[in-house]
This record gives sequence, C-alpha cells and structure tokens, in this order.
Amino acid sequence: MRKYRTSYPISWRIMDVLEAAFASIWPKGGGKYTPYLMLAPAILLVGALVVGLLYIGDSSLRVLDRSTFLFSDHWTIENYKRAFSESFTLTVIWRSLLGAFIVTFFTLLLAFPYAYVMVRTSSSFLRKFLLIALFLPFFIGQVVRAYGWLIILGSQGIVNDALGLVGVEPIRLLFNYPAVLFGLIQYMLPFGVLMLAPAMTAIPEEVEAASGSLGANWIKTLWYVIIPMAKPGIIGAGLVVLTLSLTDFAMPAILGGGSQDFIANAIYDQFFRTSDQGFGSALTIILIGIGSMMVGLIFMVFGAGTLALGSEKK
Amino acid sequence: MTKSAVSAKNVEMQFGPFKAVKDASFELEEGRFLTILGPSGSGKTTLLRMIAGFLTPTKGEIFINGQAVGAVAPNKRSIGMVFQKLALFPHMTAAENVAFPLKMRRFDARTIPDRVSQYLRLVRLDGLENRRINELSGGQQQRVAIARALVFEPDLLLLDEPLAALDRKLREEMQLEFRRIQKELGVTTINVTHDQREALVVSDQIIVMDEGEIQQDASPSVMYRIPQNPFVANFIGVTNAFEGKLTKVSKADATAIFGDSSLVGVLRNGPVEPQEGQKARGAVRAEQIRISATKSELNGLDAQFGGTVADVIFEGERILYEVKVPELGEVPIRIFHHDQNDFATHELGESVHIGWKSRDLHIFVAQ
Repeated sequence: MRKYRTSYPISWRIMDVLEAAFASIWPKGGGKYTPYLMLAPAILLVGALVVGLLYIGDSSLRVLDRSTFLFSDHWTIENYKRAFSESFTLTVIWRSLLGAFIVTFFTLLLAFPYAYVMVRTSSSFLRKFLLIALFLPFFIGQVVRAYGWLIILGSQGIVNDALGLVGVEPIRLLFNYPAVLFGLIQYMLPFGVLMLAPAMTAIPEEVEAASGSLGANWIKTLWYVIIPMAKPGIIGAGLVVLTLSLTDFAMPAILGGGSQDFIANAIYDQFFRTSDQGFGSALTIILIGIGSMMVGLIFMVFGAGTLALGSEKK
Repeated sequence: MTKSAVSAKNVEMQFGPFKAVKDASFELEEGRFLTILGPSGSGKTTLLRMIAGFLTPTKGEIFINGQAVGAVAPNKRSIGMVFQKLALFPHMTAAENVAFPLKMRRFDARTIPDRVSQYLRLVRLDGLENRRINELSGGQQQRVAIARALVFEPDLLLLDEPLAALDRKLREEMQLEFRRIQKELGVTTINVTHDQREALVVSDQIIVMDEGEIQQDASPSVMYRIPQNPFVANFIGVTNAFEGKLTKVSKADATAIFGDSSLVGVLRNGPVEPQEGQKARGAVRAEQIRISATKSELNGLDAQFGGTVADVIFEGERILYEVKVPELGEVPIRIFHHDQNDFATHELGESVHIGWKSRDLHIFVAQ
C-alpha cells in the first residue's frame, strides 16, 4: 500500500498560523466584504494619483508671471489657450498622436504573426527561443536599448559602416521622425505579443482545421476566423501600445535628439527646464484628455466587454 | 456494381518511430455509414484525419470517388467534418456558421439564405438562426455543426467523435439523429468512436481498430455474431474469456480445455491453421448464457455448470449476475438476465445452474 506522509508540509502550517492570526484579529471575518477589503490597497494607490492629478489640474489654471516667477492667484484658462494656439505645441500633439497610431498599427502587424507562431508551433525549441527573444529586451531597459540604436544607426554606426563598404555616403538615420517610430515599434513589440498570445491560445486549433475543411484557404481563415476570434487580444494590445507610445518619453528624447519631441518631452521641458509648472500641467491635462478620449472611443466602438476574454459581450 | 466512395490501400502513418496506423485497407460504398471503432490510441482518429486531409499518409494511398487524394489540402476536398469539440465559430450566429462553407466555396450568393434555412430545418433548428453559439444548448450546437458540415453537399461526411462529450440520453438521441439525417441525404459517412453501442446502432459497416491495425471489417451483426479475434469479441459487448488448449479440431467446430472442463465451440481462426495442443482462447457473451435455479430449465444447452452467485447488479432493463464456477477458473462468469416480470430471482451465495449453446462459444487460436 502507498505510504502517506504523516505530517503536513510547512506551507500548510504557515497558512494555519496566518488563519489563526486573522481569526484573532477579526473573529467574525469580513464576510462578503472581504473581497472589497482586498481591493482597498489598489484603490488607495490609484486614489493618491487622483490627488496628484487634482493638484496638476489646479496649477494648470494658473499662469506664470515671468517677471516675478510667481503663479497667479486666480484661475484662468490662459495656459490652455496658449497650448492650442502655439504652433509648437500643436505640432507636438499631432506628432505624438500620429506617431502613436503608426506605432500601434505596425506593432500589431508584427506582433500578430509572432504571437501566432509562438502559440502554435509544435517545436518547443522555437517556442522557447521566441519567448526568450521577447523577454530579453525587458531586462535591458528602454534607455539602454535606445542607446543601442544610436550605436547601430549613428553616422559612424554599424549600418553606415556597412553602407560605406559598398560605396554609399553616410546617411542620417537618426534624429528624425522615422527613427523615433522605429525605436518605439521595437520597444512596443513585446507588449503587443504578450497581450496577443493569450487571445491566440484561446482559439482552439480545431476551429482552424474546421475552417479549412469547410473550404477556406489560410488567408480567409485568418480574416474570417482567427482575427475576429482574437479581437479582444488585438484591442487590448492596441490600447496598451497606443497609450504607452502616446506618452513615451525616452525614445523621442534619445532617437529624436530633441527635434522630435512628443507631449511627454514637452511636459518635461516645462516642468524641469522652463519651470513653467502651469503650462506643463495644462499639457499634462491635455495628454490625459486625449488618451482618455481615445480609450473611451475604442470602448464605445468595440465594447468594454471585448477585453474580458471569452466572457459575453456587455 | 456500386462504386466505392472511399477506399484505402495499405495506408500507414508514422510519427517518428511510432506507427499510428499500420497497413490499413478498406472499401466503403457510396451512401453507406461506416464507423471506425476502437479504444483511444488505436489509430482511428489518425485514419480519419488522413481521409480529411489534415495528415498525409507516410505509405499507401487513400481514394475518394476513385481519385487518389494524396496531399490534396482539406479545403480542396469535398468533405464535411463534424469535429470532436465541434469547432463552431463563436463570433457568428447559427445561420452564419452554416453559411460559412457556402461563402468560402463561392456558392451563388442569392441561393445561400434558402440553403441555410433548408439545412437548419433538416437538423430541426428552424427559429434559432440568429442565436449566437454560446446561446445554444449542447444538443443544438451539435445540430449546427452537422448542418454546417452538410450544407455544401460534400461527397463525404466525417464525424470525429462529436458525441463523446454528451450525456448518455442526449448522445443516444443524437445517434438516431445522425442516422436519420444520413439516410435522408444518402451521404457517405465515416464516423469515429470508442462507443461500441453507438457503432452498432448507427452503422452499415464497422471497422474495429486496435494498436494501429484493422482487426475486423464487417457489418454490425456480423461483427457482433462472428468476431474474428479475441480483441473484437472483448471489445464489442460484455464477454467472458477463458484461456486454454485446443484438444480436437474438426471442420466447423473445435474442442478445447478451459480450466477443468472440455468445451465445444465454433472455431474462429484467423489466418493460421489450427493445430491440436495449441493455446486457445474462448469467449462467450454475457447475454448468451442462461441462469437458473433448477437444472431442468436449462434443457437444450450443451454446456452446463453449477456455481454460486457472487454478485447481483441491477441495471434497469437487465440484471448482471456474477457467478463463480469452480470448473471454469477463478474469474466469475458474467451473465445478463433479461426478464421484465422478475425481481432479482437469485440471491447472493445462492447455488445456481448456468449454461450456453456450443455455437455461442467462440474459440480463437492464440497467434
């Protein structure tokens, strides 16, 4: 007969102690409110952010007096007026928005096949390779990666060296808009793949086989079956990539070399260079407004329920 | 002569060192219902997936309507398939699911709505066209899957154990549904299952597979009455098996010693010529043994034994007795007793007589 161990493992005993401690502190237990209680720390954390936001909202309504370097006592929408009339800020906002959409589009385009192969491949070696390749950049960090691109794409970088060998004059590959977008796409790709992979896993392989046996070739299967079924993942990935690239700071700063600022860079300048907290706050509020509007729009079009994988659409 | 709709010639499928299907050959006539029956891992699903085109045989050839299909892709074959987990499209309604193959196969768009409703009527789902898949019950989902597989009038319908996950009542209902629809449309059908009852109920032809090999290919009644080897005898129905030795071989029957007794039975030898003294296996079905308290009731049964009742199991429409017969060895003999008017007439520990006819004892020569 099989032998059973005569003592409980240590983790069980730790649980017993914890349960006893909990019972002595709160003998009646939380009842049905316990889950809400567990939600409290997260709500507090977000709440602190809201308080900060209120302060930013307040200072966005005060104009800096450049002769005294004091903020006005009364509220005014002068900062917002300035933001929407100054061509520089409008350019920055437009550049960030357009950039975020382009980056999202290309990231999804690249992440989709990556996630698909990673989920579907029967070779465990390939799957591990793809996973490691995906996670490796996370360990390096954004700044170092951007710096890596400087080395590769710089005027004396690897690419220009290689071009020089075939007699091409050095090209300026950096400090322009495409370079920033390129860096952002590369940065966002893992987020895209990680958000898409669970959605792909949720699609049974049998469904693809069924689509084939019903007469669909792979393109039709992709278009009519896989993409619609992966929609929650695509929207989730799109939202994450869109908001992250809209608010990104490092890539425009490093790969744009100051000429390709996004909103976050403009805000940084206002806070830490010109010390115009009021205008910086106004830009912050505008950024939050644009981001929220886009997320809200996507939820309105596709329904917030699409994000809840597998459950019914609300 | 009716032409064969599907045939396989020496088909083999090898995955690395493992042969999932070995040298399988069969013929299926047009309009007939074939069931490939076998335990899990017997290679039955692999065989089906080769016919569907998801796998290409490593050896041999499969013919559909006389054409070797070789590596023709599934979407280029005219095959409707109902999958194990149904594989319905959850983002579409019932009607959209059924319309899918018509659109993919470029049917005239004007005829699609009529066709879809015609097939939804065939599977008795009219009125539920616009339900999404998750708003349908398990049985209704089965019906959508059948309609979707049939709507484009494929040459061949494949069923990959779609009923396995259903509860018994629904399963039996759907078995009859499959049969009805198949007869109504006359579509050649290949079904895969591990449920021997389902195979007997729905099929015109059964292929029993085990360990990648076809064990027997016959009609349900032949499969049941004349099993060709011990595996088939055991797999279909509830069978009592004995191990022993051949003592006498004549043209039609044979005598073998099982336990302490010499028994006469019908020789179901395979390809080997039986020799006296060879190892032999005997098999009698539980429903072909009679049980009685008195010997006189067993008149006309050539093999008779006395034993004691070791277990009584009430199964509703029948009672299963397990009777210990010392002459036949340690393992109790299982007997089905059908008598609607009787309550269990024999009790635990009671002395009883059992008996069967010699023609119901199958004797197999050990290979």
